[in-house]
Amino acid sequence: MSTSSQEPSKGLLALAGIPHHQALTSRRDFFQRSGLGFGSVALTGLLNQSAQGSHVAPRKPHQARRAKNVIFLFMEGGPSHIDTFDPKPLVNRLAGQKVPESFGRVLTSMGESHSPILASQRQWKRHGQSGLWVSDWCPHVAECIDDIAVIRSCVSDGINHAGGVCQMNTGSIVGGRPSLGSWVTYGLGSENQDLPSFVVMTDTESQVVNGPRMWGTGFIPSVHQGVRFKAGETPIQNLNAPKGVSSSRQSGKLAFLQHLNKTHAHQRNEDSVLEARINSYELAFRMQAEAPDAVDLSKESDSTKALYGMDRQPTANFGRMCLLARRLVERGVRFVQLYHGAGSKWDAHAGIEKNHTQNFAATDLPVAGLLKDLKSRGLLEETLVVWGGEFGRTPMSEDGDGRDHNPTGFTLWMAGGGVQGGQTIGRTDDLGLHAVEDRMHVLDIHSTIVWLLGLDPRDLVYHHKGRPENPARNEGEPNPAILG
Amino acid sequence: MVRLNAISRLAASVFVLGLMFQSQAKANDGARFFETKIRPILTERCLHCHGHQQAKGGLRLDNPQSFSEGGQSGPLWNPQKIDASLLLQRLKGRPANKGRMPKEGDPLTAKEIEAIESWLRDGAPWPDYGQPIKPLKNADSFSDEDREYWAFQGIKRPSLPSVDQVSWVRNEIDLFVLARLEALGLTPNPEAKSEKLLRRIHQNLHGLPPNPADQQAFTRDRSPKAYERLVDRLLTHSNYGEHWARFWLDVVRYAESDGYRGDFYRPTAWPYRDYVIDSFNADKPYDVFVSEQIAGDELAPNEVSARIATGFLRHGIYEWNQRDVRGQWAIMLNDVTETTADAFLGLGYACAKCHDHKFDPILQEDYYRLQAYFTPLLPRDDLPLANTEEWQSYQAAQRRWETATESIRTRIDDIERPIIEKGLSEIRSKFEPEFLELMDRPRANRSPLEHQIAELAYRQLAYDINRSRNSLKGTAKERRDALLKELELYDSLKPTEPGKAFCATDVGPSAPPTHIPDDREQRDIAPGPPSILDPRAARVDFVPSAPNSTGRRSALARWLTNPSNPLVARVYVNRLWQQHFGVGLVATTSDFGRLGEKPSHPALLDWLANEFIVNGWSTKHIQKLILNSATFRQSANAYSRKRAMSRDPKNRLLWRFPTRRLKAEQVRDAMLAASNELDPAIGGPSVDAKTPRRTVYTKQIRNRRDPLLDAFDLPYYFKSESERNETTTATQALLMLNGEWVLKRAEAFAKDLLALESTGTDERIDLSFQRSYGRQASHAELSAAKTFLAEQAERAGGSPFQQAQLAAWTDYCHALLNSNEFLYVD
Repeated sequence: MSTSSQEPSKGLLALAGIPHHQALTSRRDFFQRSGLGFGSVALTGLLNQSAQGSHVAPRKPHQARRAKNVIFLFMEGGPSHIDTFDPKPLVNRLAGQKVPESFGRVLTSMGESHSPILASQRQWKRHGQSGLWVSDWCPHVAECIDDIAVIRSCVSDGINHAGGVCQMNTGSIVGGRPSLGSWVTYGLGSENQDLPSFVVMTDTESQVVNGPRMWGTGFIPSVHQGVRFKAGETPIQNLNAPKGVSSSRQSGKLAFLQHLNKTHAHQRNEDSVLEARINSYELAFRMQAEAPDAVDLSKESDSTKALYGMDRQPTANFGRMCLLARRLVERGVRFVQLYHGAGSKWDAHAGIEKNHTQNFAATDLPVAGLLKDLKSRGLLEETLVVWGGEFGRTPMSEDGDGRDHNPTGFTLWMAGGGVQGGQTIGRTDDLGLHAVEDRMHVLDIHSTIVWLLGLDPRDLVYHHKGRPENPARNEGEPNPAILG
Repeated sequence: MVRLNAISRLAASVFVLGLMFQSQAKANDGARFFETKIRPILTERCLHCHGHQQAKGGLRLDNPQSFSEGGQSGPLWNPQKIDASLLLQRLKGRPANKGRMPKEGDPLTAKEIEAIESWLRDGAPWPDYGQPIKPLKNADSFSDEDREYWAFQGIKRPSLPSVDQVSWVRNEIDLFVLARLEALGLTPNPEAKSEKLLRRIHQNLHGLPPNPADQQAFTRDRSPKAYERLVDRLLTHSNYGEHWARFWLDVVRYAESDGYRGDFYRPTAWPYRDYVIDSFNADKPYDVFVSEQIAGDELAPNEVSARIATGFLRHGIYEWNQRDVRGQWAIMLNDVTETTADAFLGLGYACAKCHDHKFDPILQEDYYRLQAYFTPLLPRDDLPLANTEEWQSYQAAQRRWETATESIRTRIDDIERPIIEKGLSEIRSKFEPEFLELMDRPRANRSPLEHQIAELAYRQLAYDINRSRNSLKGTAKERRDALLKELELYDSLKPTEPGKAFCATDVGPSAPPTHIPDDREQRDIAPGPPSILDPRAARVDFVPSAPNSTGRRSALARWLTNPSNPLVARVYVNRLWQQHFGVGLVATTSDFGRLGEKPSHPALLDWLANEFIVNGWSTKHIQKLILNSATFRQSANAYSRKRAMSRDPKNRLLWRFPTRRLKAEQVRDAMLAASNELDPAIGGPSVDAKTPRRTVYTKQIRNRRDPLLDAFDLPYYFKSESERNETTTATQALLMLNGEWVLKRAEAFAKDLLALESTGTDERIDLSFQRSYGRQASHAELSAAKTFLAEQAERAGGSPFQQAQLAAWTDYCHALLNSNEFLYVD
């Protein structure tokens, strides 16, 4: 329930004579005060969150769960694995030569399969108690390496961005399936009825490849779709009354609308869909109070902001997103997805040095800040943090100083939510071209995430066109090694 | 918990400690390996003798326990000495071919034996599903239960049931519905009030609210046949096709963009949409409608509409820069295979792509039998929207222009050539040599498949040629543009190009092979219907009208539209029922298999399917029956229906008319109609959603979804869609309340009402009710509205008077557009 003492400037709050300063304490309260006494049947339905309700009541996971929430840090465009978490000395030894035949043939997006190998210019060091290798592009995340499980054997089917981003979000390179965040909210519901259960933020206004369908629901009801949040007074689109409409006008209009709906519902006996829709306006009202509070960073201390790099460039922007992510999971938002480099900005076909140096400079500190902050607040245990892109990058060069897409072997890491840190899972070949040991296909990655949340990915079923669909697509398997 | 517990189980049962330490992580990979490499060998080659039916030699290979126990000859393998394992010796036939397995057929290939060896080295991981795996099915292994499944039986005309409450019945449909209700001790509702019927039927047939003139006309018509006349009138109006095309466009995953990152608009796709609208308006017989979409190019090659109809084969997604050309072609073929199965057969073929369907008698081979009809396809963008005669006369005129402009065009080519060549060499470098070689090879030397792949690859080059042209800069560009200006002087000679069709043909008269991926024998699968219906290959005849085509799709069209086909008519009339009542008689309208729902009224379904076929596959014939039935005309009232509510809470038996929310398109169209902004123009190229035309004419771009339509559950159009969700969310409420587009409609609505001359407030309110709800306002509603308007004008500041009035009326209209009565029809 909204306990905000703040008064939204324009909003539903003033509905039908509710004093602005008075916080609503229950749904029943809302209806009684707004003069919408429905009669006991309707009201019971509303209080019980009817099946068609606007929001998703929390559900019990099937299994003893480790993680409650997910923060998925999506580096869009595909960061290089062989320059970050998967060192390959042979790449530098064979630099300038073609990939030996024995490594197998690959089909690449830009036809670089026969191009010479490009040396990595990174300095590598072992970090933490675990002594895992991390390159000098990620000095801050390296400090958290003992909390991180580095999965070096990821595999995707998409050689292009559209297919890759689509699969990393939906399990298929072809569109039309629910996104992972939708599956998770479908499976677990939300802990906070006043906020969307699946929130997406992007670092710029550039469109994420494939657009909003990347957090869409495919064939499951759109109540589970990701909602885009932005920092500022209007975190959700259309949250506030349009300019020029005073709060008294807005509330007067709403009271009239609810009067119309009440009369309409009175003439019809049982329609829970009608109740659900009346209910949705109430939820919208609570969201108006809750969402700005969730994104209000003024109550965060300077030291917290500094931890995320909000006090300096170039980390301020992504730092703010990471801090917002923490505030959202704190409030029970189930799945938060942050895109960095929206519109394939990690796509270093040329000039990987410059590209990745800049991108890591903007993200490494904030990501480490997020991990440290979650840990110090005791939230890391229940929050699974996932970092990665839609694929990695080839050992072969493109344009002499860039790298092409590498979906056949790449790195993604997970931390928190029960994950055993300080370990690597799987292995790529000596050039980082193919995953050769403990391969984890994207569907295995999704299955593992779902499994960490206490759900069996095969049992998380939605019937569509008569078919029992699940996020594993009957193929993915959770990898229990993630627990150590 | 994790399903893969085979390794620990194996270790515990027989084998050595070493295995215990094997990382569980490995299990994942193992499961995939087992599923993709091992299971196919077992099911195809081993289980007929070593399965649950006969365990020859005491050996069963259909579950991990038996596998680890081995048979009469002892354990199959020893992790310490893989090479010496009995299993490998038998497979390799050592020594001296002694006891080689499998006994029948060819030995396993070296690749297969290698797979088994490597599987053994990994500890023989075997995901345990708790039930034994079954041998691969074939047409001989269908059970009686499979064969007797209702959806595979021929359509017979059932006898009409008898009922008690005869007075309620208007036609045969009602007999079937009433009989089921009476069996449950229930009665249907009486007829709805005429104003409700009017709105219901307008929304149902036109997807638009009735306008005040419609309302007056209907109220004035006092004849007992007024309703029937209304049905006839609405069915002959062009708005009908605009609304009814919509569900078909969902079924065929119609959209107007590529659907990948380069989500390019398809400027030639829209004629298909008009084709569907026109087909509904003309009540084109469904068998013709199906045949045109499947094989219009073969059956009526000189008919432009048939050419457009084959767009059906192409509405799937396409990625302009996909260098994995073969992979993309496989995706495109799978798309058309699955869409066809969903749309016409209502069978879940998609489940059978990788394995036999687990619940229905659909074999993996059936998936490829269906695909084989489409394997010869060639997507075409070069065929004109003109018949032969029109095309010839165009070409003659075009030649005159070409002759007159030859030298100018040659000079343009000379200027553009270097940049085009540079662009070409760049794009070519992105392809693997095999594709370059294919593209460079003369067509005569390409096999059909090679030609398809070369053509698909060449699309990327063609795209770049145009891009290079447009990237010309500097003086070269100036010189070229000057020449283009010069070229314009000849425009009077230039005939209007007929435009190109978004269509498909076959690659040629002989078909490329159709393979099941990972099939060891790489058999060429011949086209054919589901084996359960007919295991033989389809008879494919030469089609005289299309000598350059395989005729396979004509054969498919013939099979689909044969009156003996048990699925096609049932699936289609069920879709019609779904569009009238919200839920089909079979609720899962694209899955008539065991995973779908059983029909609520099986006899009615068959009666309708038969009635449909014997009446020339006429859509409107079935619709008239439905619309004129008492079942459709009953009220939605649920008051005092406690018994019905408890016995049939989901109203599957139709004891009342179901209340339904408007679909996304209806929401948008109804708002434009209420505000009197709706542009009634018919057909033509799609327009931006800002244009106030019907939604069916707005651009459907896969990756840029209109926020309003998105909020009201517009499908994504990546796959065939048969049911729309109806979700209600807080963000939807926010969009309706604060979103700019809806607010603008409210303002236009208000302005339109206020602009009416010599009209009083009461009349304006009444009109607003008619436009929003299709009815007049009651006294109570009038006075509530007036009170609100007065108060709201005060809240809006009171002065200047006109501004406050407009604000109040805008808010009033906005509330109407937001209201449940506006969005729901009962």
